[in-house]
Amino acid sequence: MADGLRTALRILVHTVLGGAALITVVTVVSVLGPMLAIDLYTPPVAAWWTVFTAITVQGVPFLLLGTVVSAAIGAFVPQRVFQRLLPRRTALAVPVAGAAGVVLPGCECASVPVAGSLMRRGVAPAAALAFLLSAPAINPVVLVATSIAFPGQPEMVLGRLVASLGTAVVMGWLWARFGREEWLRLPKRDTGHEQGGGPRAFVSGLQHDFLHAGGFLVLGAAAAATFDIVVPSPLLEVFTGSAWLSVLLLAVLAVVLCVCSEADAFVAASLSGFSPTARLAFMVVGPMVDLKLIALQTGTFGRSFAVRFSSATWLVAVASSVLVGWWLL
Amino acid sequence: MRRYGPAVLLALVGAAILRVSLFSDLYLRYVQPGLRPYLVVSGVVLVLLGVAVGVLVRTADDGEAQEDLGAPAGHTHGPAGPRVAWFLTLPALALLLFPPPALGSYSAEREADRRAARGVGTFPALPAGNPLDLTLGEFGSRAVYDSGRSLTGRTVRLTGFVTRDADGTWYVTRLLVSCCAADAGAAKAEVRGVGAPPVDTWITVTGTWHPEGEPGSDAAWPPVLDATSVRRTPQPDNPYEKR
Repeated sequence: MADGLRTALRILVHTVLGGAALITVVTVVSVLGPMLAIDLYTPPVAAWWTVFTAITVQGVPFLLLGTVVSAAIGAFVPQRVFQRLLPRRTALAVPVAGAAGVVLPGCECASVPVAGSLMRRGVAPAAALAFLLSAPAINPVVLVATSIAFPGQPEMVLGRLVASLGTAVVMGWLWARFGREEWLRLPKRDTGHEQGGGPRAFVSGLQHDFLHAGGFLVLGAAAAATFDIVVPSPLLEVFTGSAWLSVLLLAVLAVVLCVCSEADAFVAASLSGFSPTARLAFMVVGPMVDLKLIALQTGTFGRSFAVRFSSATWLVAVASSVLVGWWLL
Repeated sequence: MRRYGPAVLLALVGAAILRVSLFSDLYLRYVQPGLRPYLVVSGVVLVLLGVAVGVLVRTADDGEAQEDLGAPAGHTHGPAGPRVAWFLTLPALALLLFPPPALGSYSAEREADRRAARGVGTFPALPAGNPLDLTLGEFGSRAVYDSGRSLTGRTVRLTGFVTRDADGTWYVTRLLVSCCAADAGAAKAEVRGVGAPPVDTWITVTGTWHPEGEPGSDAAWPPVLDATSVRRTPQPDNPYEKR
C-alpha cells in the first residue's frame, strides 16, 4: 500500500517536473527559434543540414542491416563454423574472405560492424579486414551501378572489380605480415555474459552496435557535409590538366566526399574532365577510405588502428588503381 | 532512469525515420524513392528494438543486480550506453521537429556544369505529346548530344526552380541525384523570351528548343529554351531528378 502510494507520488512528481521543463523548452524554442532561425538559417547552413541529414538517413538502413548481421553472428553462429569455412592458413584465408565480400550487398556502413563481429568470433583479423574492404566495393549492386554509369565501358567494371579486390587482398596480407595486435582495440563486449547467447544477447548486441556505430556515422556525416559546403567544386577542376595530379586529387576527393559506394560510380561518371584512371581511383578509394568510414572504424577498432589502416589502404588503393588503369583502361 | 537512455534513443531514431518515410514524403528531400521500403522497415525495427531493450532493462531491474545491457565489463561507457550515440539525437530531432529543406539554387550554383561525358549519337524517338513533358536531364542530353536533333520543332514543358547568373541570364534548374542529396549535380536550361521570376521559385516553362552550336560542342551547353509561358508551380514531391 505504502509502496503503491510512493510510486504514484513519484510518477506525479516526474510528470509535473518533466511537464514544466517541457513547457519551458517549447515556449523558449517557439519564441526564440524563429528569431534565431532568420539570422542563422542562411542558404549554406540550410544546405549543410540537408546534406548532413541525407547522409545519415541514407546510412541508417545499411548500418542497421550490418549490425543485425553482426549481432546475429555474435549470438547465433558458433565459433567453429568460421574455422571450418575459412582455410587455416591466414595467407589463404585472406583472398577467400576478400572474395566472400561479394555476398554482402550494402554500403560500407554495414561492413564495419560485421568485420568487428567476425574478429570477435575468432576469424583472423587479416581475413576479416580483407572482407571489410572488399564487401562494399565489389558486391553485385555496386558493379551493376558501375555498368549503368559507364555504358559501353565494361572495362571500367572489370577494372573496379580487379583493383578493389587486389587492394583488399594486399591489405589483408600486409596486416598479416606487419599488423600488431595492440593497434586493434576490439571492444571485448561479450566477456561479461558470453554464456548468454540466444535472443537476449542478440538484442543487447544489436542495440549496442547500432548506437555505437550510429553515433560515429553522424560524426562522419557532419564532416562530409562540412566539406561539401566549404570546398568549392569549380576550384577542383583546375587540376584536371596533369594525369598524376588528377589521380591524387580524385583519390583525396573520394575521402572527403563520402559518397556511398552504390552512388559513387555516377559521381565518377560526371567528373568528365578527369582521366579514366583518376575516375577508377575515385571508385576504388571511396568505398574503402572516407571520413565516415574512418569515424566508424575509430569507433569500432580504436583510433590508432583507424589512422594506420586508413592511410595504408589509401596508398595501396591508389597504387592498385594506377596499375589496373594502366593495364586495362 | 538513465538506463533507459539506449531504449529511448533507438525509439527516437526509429520514430524520426518513420516520420519522414511512412507518414510523409519528406524522405524524398534526402534520398531516392527506391529507399522507402528499407527506411520503413528500419524505422519499425528500431522502434521495436527500443521497446525490447526497454523491457530487458526492466526485467533486469526486477531480477538480478544493476549490471547488464550495454554496460559490459572492461568497457568505458556507463549504463547509459555508448556516449557517442547521443549524436544520433541531432539528425533525429532535426527530422522530427524541423525537417531540413530540399537543396535549391545555392547548391545548384555551387556545382560546376558537370555534364556526363558521352559521345554524340542518335536518341530513340521522343514520345507523342504536345506540349511534351521532359525532365531537365533528358532535355539537356538531347539538346547537347543528339546528332538526330530530335527536339527540333517540338514544344516541351520543363519543371524546375529558377537560378540566375550575374549578367541577368536565367535558368530553369533541377538537381540530379543518384543516391542521396550529398551527390546532387545540376541540370539546367537557359530560358529566353520571358522575364525571370525570383530565384528559387518553382516554375513550369513551356517553349521550344533553341539550337546553339554543333552537337557535343561547348557552345551547345547549356541548352536554350525559347519560352512562350512560365507558370508558377508548387515544389514537386520529389524535388530531384534521378540521374
